[in-house]
Parts: sequence; structure tokens; C-alpha cells
Amino acid sequence: MKTGAFEGVLLLAVGVLTANAYWVSMKFLLREKTGKRVSIGALHSVLNRLEEKWCLTVSECRATATKGGRRNKYYILTARGRNVLIETSKPRPGLLKNIQGLNLRWDG
Amino acid sequence: MDNKQNYRPPGLANRFLTWFCAEAVLETLQGDLHELYQLRRKKSGKFVADLNFILDVIDVCRPFAIKRKSRSNYLNNNTMFKNHVKLAWRNLKTQPFFTFLNTAGLAIGMAGGLLIALFVYDELSFNKMFAGSDRIYRMNIDMRTGGETNYYATVSGPLAGAIRQDCPHVEMVTRFRGVRSALLRKNEEDENVKEKHVAGVDATFFDMFGLELLEGDTKTALNAPNTLILTKSAAQKHFGSGAALGQSLLFNNTQTYTVTGVIDDFPKNSFLRDHTVLFSLESFKDAHSEAWNNFNFPTFVKLSPAASVDDLQDFLKTVNDNYLIPWAMTFVPGLTVESSKADDAKTGNFMKFRSIALEDIHLHSADRQGEFSPNSDIKNVYILSVIGFFLILLASVNFMNLSTAYALKRAREVGVRKTLGATKYGLIRQFLTESGLISFVSMLMAILIAYSVIPFFNELSGKAIAMPFSSPVFWLAAVASTIILSLFSGSYPAFFMSRFIPVKILKGNSGSPGGGNVRNSLVVFQFAISVFLIVSTLVVFQQLEYIQNKDLGFQKDQILVVDDVYAAGDQMESFKQQVLQLGGVERASLSSYLPTPSDRSGITYFAQGSFKAENAAIFGNWTIDHDYLSTLDLEIIAGRDFDEKFYTDSSGLILNESAVAMLGLQPQEAIGLRLTSDFHRQDKENMRYMTVIGVVKNFHFESLRSNIGALSLVLGKKANRMMVKLNPGDFQAAIKQIEEKWEMVAPHQPFNYYFMDDSFNSTYQAEQRLGRVFITFTILSIFIACLGLFGLAAFNAEKRIKEIGIRKVMGASAGQITYRLSIDFLRLVGISVFISLPLGWYVMNKWLEDFSYRVEIGWWVFALAAVLAVAIAIITVSYQSIKAALTSPVKSLRSE
Repeated sequence: MKTGAFEGVLLLAVGVLTANAYWVSMKFLLREKTGKRVSIGALHSVLNRLEEKWCLTVSECRATATKGGRRNKYYILTARGRNVLIETSKPRPGLLKNIQGLNLRWDG
Repeated sequence: MDNKQNYRPPGLANRFLTWFCAEAVLETLQGDLHELYQLRRKKSGKFVADLNFILDVIDVCRPFAIKRKSRSNYLNNNTMFKNHVKLAWRNLKTQPFFTFLNTAGLAIGMAGGLLIALFVYDELSFNKMFAGSDRIYRMNIDMRTGGETNYYATVSGPLAGAIRQDCPHVEMVTRFRGVRSALLRKNEEDENVKEKHVAGVDATFFDMFGLELLEGDTKTALNAPNTLILTKSAAQKHFGSGAALGQSLLFNNTQTYTVTGVIDDFPKNSFLRDHTVLFSLESFKDAHSEAWNNFNFPTFVKLSPAASVDDLQDFLKTVNDNYLIPWAMTFVPGLTVESSKADDAKTGNFMKFRSIALEDIHLHSADRQGEFSPNSDIKNVYILSVIGFFLILLASVNFMNLSTAYALKRAREVGVRKTLGATKYGLIRQFLTESGLISFVSMLMAILIAYSVIPFFNELSGKAIAMPFSSPVFWLAAVASTIILSLFSGSYPAFFMSRFIPVKILKGNSGSPGGGNVRNSLVVFQFAISVFLIVSTLVVFQQLEYIQNKDLGFQKDQILVVDDVYAAGDQMESFKQQVLQLGGVERASLSSYLPTPSDRSGITYFAQGSFKAENAAIFGNWTIDHDYLSTLDLEIIAGRDFDEKFYTDSSGLILNESAVAMLGLQPQEAIGLRLTSDFHRQDKENMRYMTVIGVVKNFHFESLRSNIGALSLVLGKKANRMMVKLNPGDFQAAIKQIEEKWEMVAPHQPFNYYFMDDSFNSTYQAEQRLGRVFITFTILSIFIACLGLFGLAAFNAEKRIKEIGIRKVMGASAGQITYRLSIDFLRLVGISVFISLPLGWYVMNKWLEDFSYRVEIGWWVFALAAVLAVAIAIITVSYQSIKAALTSPVKSLRSE
């Protein structure tokens, strides 16, 4: 399963947020933890993609007052998503050590 | 969340989001944006929140969010389309008779429509190929004198100079000079070749019409006197493959002209189409004449791009006061602008300079004197367009009728489809595919048919149209009309059939699915059109018959006209005497003027002692010889014919009844009246007078479209033609003898002859053409209507086969059954007859109003049309009815 870096980050975020994993909460989490502003368009398209790849699934849809009565999608990781997360988080020393001067850091 | 306060995000951006965003993601996306907006609004205020909202909306314009047709749906459409085509094909195959009727009807209708469209397109394209043709105008004159209005396509010579000098809105003026025809030959040869359509033109010709020479220089070609240019085909005629440029040609055996240019043949749809030779204007001795009464000059102007036609017309209105009257004042004593105006107001006379757009000449300038080539009439274009439209309409109606009738057979299919989940729109799409398939095949057939009959059509219409296979517009139009036609004719059946209710149909009750009323009205409509066309055709032919057999006041049969006798020079008179001695010849007369289209000239007369403008009488003026009246059997109603015994007859004058009436006299009173045309003279006492010696009964010398004009006949030696009245018997032998005499007096000159009645008939060529076109398309439309009726009758008989079987078993005779099956259709045809007869009467009366001499539409025309329509309908229907009536009931009832 191929996943991009940002996809991996979102999987992590969903895992971290557990029951409160929805788009706005993820946006704020990412801003807090990585210091990066994530545009809503990027967030949505990647979440859609992950959903299509069966890494995420919608746990519930409920209407909330903050959204003007609109329904909100909450995500949870699927088993597959969990596997992918583990897979991508594994260090790859065999390859990394050959890269001189690279100090790999994971800002989760 | 504690959030009583609910801010509204910017409406426009929100609406935009709703518009482009796919349904599936819209709600959550909008929800998120909304939530963010609330947070930002509280934190940073309206402006920042709004701005961010808008930016976010723009940001989410990504592929995942944008609305589109889902891929799966698209694939299904494609499959369904293939399926529709397949099913349509199968359906059409299982009903070959129905398919044949439909396609044949449509193909024939479309072929007719296509030919008419090509014809109309050709008519509308006239004179548009010239550079800046939309800015070119031709000058006309409308003139009323003595109660008669004449329309000229030619104008006074000095008008061109006046416009060039004083009208700032005009960029260029080109002047032609009308010339009748010319005999041309090379110096070293004896044989003359006749060029029937020639003209003089000045050097601006090329610039005006944007024309180039194939050989020669446009700047110098027409500058010098005695130069001419030839069209390519004329050059080939005279010089073969050799060079024409720089060669000389002898004009009418007297003047030598040099060829200074060769030009491509003029396009078939231009006013110059017949012209083969153009002389330089300078060659004519009246080229610089100041006489405003010399109407020999067709004049064209090109407006400057900024000017409008109103500017030109404003200028033309001032011509009378500023040029014409000052010129007339030089020889009419006491004339002033005011007195002339007062006279005109009193007598109703006028002389108006007018203009007509070059592009309008062909269709809007019928019957002016001095046109370059015969014009058509916009009315014919309208009539033909309507007929073409009718044809296609009839064919589409056939299609609708047959499809809805045959729908009954397919009711079960529709029922099953609907039960299995077919939607109404799916069914509509399927039926439209079927009609599309039929239309497409019909269009291909129509193009084939049109292609194969176009030579006949050209002969019929007198055109040279080719199928525009290389024109993309043609194919585009063909495809577009196929689509329009299939939608038009297919939509009613499609909606009709898709409306079936499956429960009703599948219950086994296959009763009529309705639509009968619509079908009946369509049949009525078809036959109403057919009957209307029958009436029109009958009236057109009646009128033609009337024209050709009307007593014209002169004897046109057995008269041979020998053209161009002036080529014999001074031997002309002796030629006449020799011809008179031939056995087969009764009489002969030399003149330029014939009662059929030939030379025309007019002259202004004043009666002695009444030189006032209001008393001017303009008559046609024909120079004739002593034998003219007797050759044509013209009847003298007062006075006498010219007589060689009276020396004074050289100043004698014979008038026709119209001329006498114009002078306000009775025929007897006119005898002895002295008239003069010599009023230009300054020394009034030497004025030459003519004395009226006879009055001839009116005879038709113009087309019967117009009334008989005023005419004066005088003796003269100049003649272009000789009329020879032949004795009944062997005409060919007589012609041969005359030709031998001609060879003797005028060796190497062409011997051109024709019979006067042929020439007379060609005056009515337009009407004859219209008649032929009418009858062709009438037959076509009746045929199409019959195809439809035939199909309906077949269907009806089939539907009622069991009923017929039972009736037969119960003892009905074949005759009774035939009657029952036919009477419904005949009733419809009867109704259509009653609708269309008054319509036909009204429209044809309008058409006849154009003729001064016309037939009354008799009641028998309507009776005949009605009988024809009913008879055709009976023949069409009865075949099917009798067939059904004769079927053995055993066969038809066996299945149950």
C-alpha cells in the first residue's frame, strides 16, 4: 500500500484524536503539533482519498449546532489504516544509514 | 458547544460552493467551512472571517469536490445507446413494409426539399460575389407621362457626371451603355459571329466590381475609343486557342475594335452572366452627350463605407431641380422649376430618379426596361420555399402517423419494458433513436435521389445548380436537418408510446392506445395541402393556356422572323423583293420592331399649338414599312394604312387606340391631327409635323402582365428584322429557299431565324417554369400523402382483420366491408377538401392580380380538385380494403 507523507500524517491524527476525529479538529491538531497551516481543500481531498483507499471510515454522522445544523463526519481508522500507519512509521535503517548527513526526524 | 450566536457566511461564495460542489461532499464541506467561519468571526471579526471563507471556497475547487457526471452513468448511457440502435434496427427489420413507407416518404420529401433549398440559395446568392456588393447601387428611373408609368433600369447619360461631381457620399460611378447585339468578325475573315449580349462600359468597371483581367491591364483596357474586352469563352470563339490580346475585330462590318483584355466568364448568378463582349464607353458617340432624355446608360454607384443609402436617395431627389429642369429650360421657352412642378402636380406626371441595391436587382426589380438579364421574382422564391416546407412537413406527418399507428403493435413491448424498470425517458430515447436512424438513412437516400435528378431539375427550373458536395456548410446543414427532422417527426410518437400504462396493456386488453384524433387531423392536414396544390396547379395552367391562346390582335402563327437583316446593307430591300417572289411566302415586312420582345424606343409628341409640358404624350415609336400591318393582320379602325401611292405618307403617323385615348380623342377625331416631336428646335416655324392618317386597333405587344401601351407607327428604312408570312405547307422548304436568297444578297452573314409564336411563348417562360415546377412538386406531395394513407389503410385493415372475418361469417358482402373500411378515410379527405378550397381560391386570386389579363377561376377548378383528391384517396385506400374484404374468414379467425 502506497501512502504519501501527508496521508500518513492524517492517519496519525485520526489515531490521536480517536472519537473526536473530524475535519476541523484535525486542522487545529496539525496546526498545533506541526506549526503548519493546512488548507481545508487539501485536508478534504486527502481524507477523501484515504477513505477511498479503505484506510479510514466514517464512524458516525451527526448534526451539530456549530455547523448550522449540518451533519458532521467523524472518522476512525480501519484495520488496514492501522497497518499502513505501522508500516509507514517503521524506521528503514537499511536505507537511511546510507544517506550521509541526513538527520531524519519525525515531527509527529 | 456553546454557540447561540450563528453568523452567516458571505452569501455569494456560499452559493458558488453549492453550485460547483458535488452532492456527496457538499454537506460536510459546507459544515466545516461554516464552523471555521464561526470561530474566525468570533476571534478576528467579520472581514478576516469573510476573506478566509472566500479563500477557502476557492481552495476547495479541487477535482474531488467538483460536480460531474459519474463515470459509471456515462458508460451505461453508451451501452444503452448501442442497445437502442440495435433494437431500432431489429424493429425496423421486422416491419419492412412500414419501414419502407417511412423511409421512402421521408427520402422523397427531403430530396424535394433539398432541391428547393439549393434553388432558393442560388436565387439569393445573386450579385453577391462582387467586391463590396453591399455598397453598390444601380440607378433607376420611374417616369409617368400621359397616364402611363414606365420603369427604366437605365438612366440619363449626364446623371453619372452629376453624381461624381456633386454627391460626396459616392466613392465611384460606373456607366454602362446599352447595346442591342453585335456582329463581330476578324478583319481577314468573312463570317460574322453574332454576340447577343454586349454593352459599353467605362474604365472604372474593374474597380467598381472588383474584377481582374486574365490578360491585359485593367488600368488601360477600357480607356481608349474602339477597344473592347472579351470573356474567355468569347475569346475562344473568335480566336480559338490563339492569343486574343491586341487582335482586332470588325463590329457590324464597319468599325474596327482592338481587343485590350480577356476576362473570366462572368458568374452564372451575376447580372452580367450573359454578357460576352464589353466595349469601351468612349467608342460611343453619345458618351459625353448632355441630353437628359437619352436613357441609354445603366449606371452603378458605390457608396463610401460611411454613407447610407438615404444619403444617395436625398441626392437623387434634387436631380430634377438642379440638373434636369435647367437643361430642359434651354429649349422649352418659359419653363421654370416652379412652372414644371405646378404642371406635374396638375397632370400627375413625374420623373423620379431612384436607386436599387445591386444585391436586390435579381429578386426585387422585375420588369424594368433595359435590364441586363432577365430577373426573377422574390415571390417565386417564397412560393417555392413554402412548397419545399410543405413537402418535408408532409413527409414528417407521414412518419408520425405511421409510427403512432404501428405503436399498437409495440404496446406489449413497451409494457414489458416498463415493468422491467424502463423509465419514460429511456423509452423516449429509444424511440427517438429509431426515428433518428430512419431520418439518417432517408437523408442519405435523399442526397442520392437529388444527385441523380438534378439534371432534370436544372432543365425544369432553368438553372445550372450542382450538388455542393465539397461545401462543409452543405454537410453541416444536412446533419443539422437530419437531427431536427428526427426530433420533429419522432417526438410525438416517442412521447405517445412512452405514455402507455403497462398494467392496461399487459392485462391482454390490447384496445386502441388512442391517438386516433391526432392521426385523423394529420391526414386532414396532409390532404388539405394536396388539394390546395392541385387547385393552384390547375389555376396556373389555366392562366398559361389563356395567355397562349388569347386573341392578341395580331396574327402570330406562320410568321418567320429573320434576324439581323441589316447585315445585308443596302441589299435589304432587294432581299425582301426576292423573298416575296418565293412560292411559299405570302407577305414580308422589314422593321426593327416586333410585337414580341425586340427593340423598343419611345418618343415625346406635342399636338400642334399645345407646347406645354402637361400636354406631352410619350408613345412607343416603331419604324415600319408599308407591308407591316398587312403581314401581322392588324386591323385599322379609322383612317387607312400606309400606302405607296401617297408620297406624303413619309410624314404620316398611325396610332393605336391607347395613344388616341391618351390624347383624349376618339379614333375618328384623331385622323388629320398634327403632332410634332421636333420641339427642341429653336426656330419654331421650321418644326416638322407628322399627320395622323390611321388608327390601329389595340394589339398586345408587351407581356400580358401589363396593359397595352400607347404606340405610334411611322415609315422608315432602318430595319433589323424581316417578318415573312409563310403559306401553309412545307415550312422547312420555304426556310431553305429564304436562306438561299440570303446567301446571295449577304454572303457569310449569319442567317438567324425563328418563328414568332415561339418567341412569343418565351415571353412567358417564367410562368411556364413556375407551372412546371408547381406540377412536379404537387405530384410529389400528393404521392407522399398517398404513401401515408396507404400505410394507414393497411394498418387499419390489419387491425380489424378479426372484425372483418366475423362480419363475413355473419353474411356481410365484400362490397359492404370495403365500404366500411374506406368510408372513414374518405370522410377525412372530404373535410380537408372543404378546408383547402377557400384557401386555394383566396391565394390564387392574389397570384392572378399580377396579370392585367387573367382568367376567372371557375367553379369547375374546385370540383375537379375535389374529385381528383377523393379519387386518389379511393384508389389508395381501396386496394387495402378490398384485399382485406376478400380474405377468407377461415384464415383470419383460425388463430383463436
